[in-house]
Amino acid sequence: MSPKALMKRAKEKGLDIIAITDHNTMANCSAYHRVAAKDDIAFINGVEIQTSEEIHLVALFDEADDASAFDKELYESLLPIPNDPDYFGDQVVIDSNENIIRCEERALLNSSTWTLDEALDKIHEYHGFCYPAHVDVHTFSIIGQLGFIPDDMPIDAIGITAHGDRDRILADFPYLEKYALIRSSDAHYLADVGSGYAMFYLEKPTVSEIRKACMGTEGRKLWNEKEEIK
Amino acid sequence: MGVRLNSFLEKISGVNLTPGIDISGITIEGGYVSDLLSDVMGSAQPHQVWITIMKHLNVIAVASMTGIPCIVFAKDSKPDDAVIKKAIEEGICLVSSEKSVFEISGILYLQLHQI
Repeated sequence: MSPKALMKRAKEKGLDIIAITDHNTMANCSAYHRVAAKDDIAFINGVEIQTSEEIHLVALFDEADDASAFDKELYESLLPIPNDPDYFGDQVVIDSNENIIRCEERALLNSSTWTLDEALDKIHEYHGFCYPAHVDVHTFSIIGQLGFIPDDMPIDAIGITAHGDRDRILADFPYLEKYALIRSSDAHYLADVGSGYAMFYLEKPTVSEIRKACMGTEGRKLWNEKEEIK
Repeated sequence: MGVRLNSFLEKISGVNLTPGIDISGITIEGGYVSDLLSDVMGSAQPHQVWITIMKHLNVIAVASMTGIPCIVFAKDSKPDDAVIKKAIEEGICLVSSEKSVFEISGILYLQLHQI
């Protein structure tokens, strides 16, 4: 997904805010950020971390400095196993003109050596917003791997899939009621961008505002999908 | 049919991480092998030994729910102190073994079936 094509698609789908959440890396965030800025789309630095328990966590950062410092530590936490480009393709890092600058050496597909608890600590150390991804699927989800979400887990929301049935999810896991359920496309291909989305009432398109919306403070909130939109 | 837990732990050269728990009276009737806790919750049976490399604190709750008396952490993996503390509270024996999941399972299978 090239940044220009992504922004065009995001505009077509009426998305105001997007985050890219590559697997275990934020190396491409700055290029996408620049392109998004030109297209008037609010961009959030994101990443999908795969912990040592094979749980996928989404982390979002407002500050580029926090994001890059976190990304550096995340990269160091990956096992030093080289990527096999013949099998998995090249892990390219691009600039905002879509030129390839370099390729990531370590296989981004593997898990980080961080445990879930260690990953959560690191995300918070860099002021990140964090939620377990796609809890309504069996693979790489916190509920699949750990059976249930511990009550005292320091997470900010819960991620659900593009087409996940919200009522069904809450019926299966009533303890999720206390969390904001964030729906997203988790798009791996251009055609899937916008297939799932969340709507928030925010003052401005930032992670700190999304955090308030998930907590329901200061008038910010997450659209609950049933309420009519005025 | 069953195997004394003590005798199994001896065979796998297991290091008992919860020595305070009295396991002398425990007999095991089978084993379960999985690192997916949602799977263990749905399929493990009471009186089975659970062999895994998953070390998250949730293993204790899952063992407690399913009636598993003992968790064996394979490949010399050891959970942290919070997990051990919780296991002691719940009366679940934790063991670490240098052997692989495959070897530990094989040893238990042979013992159970007295081959």
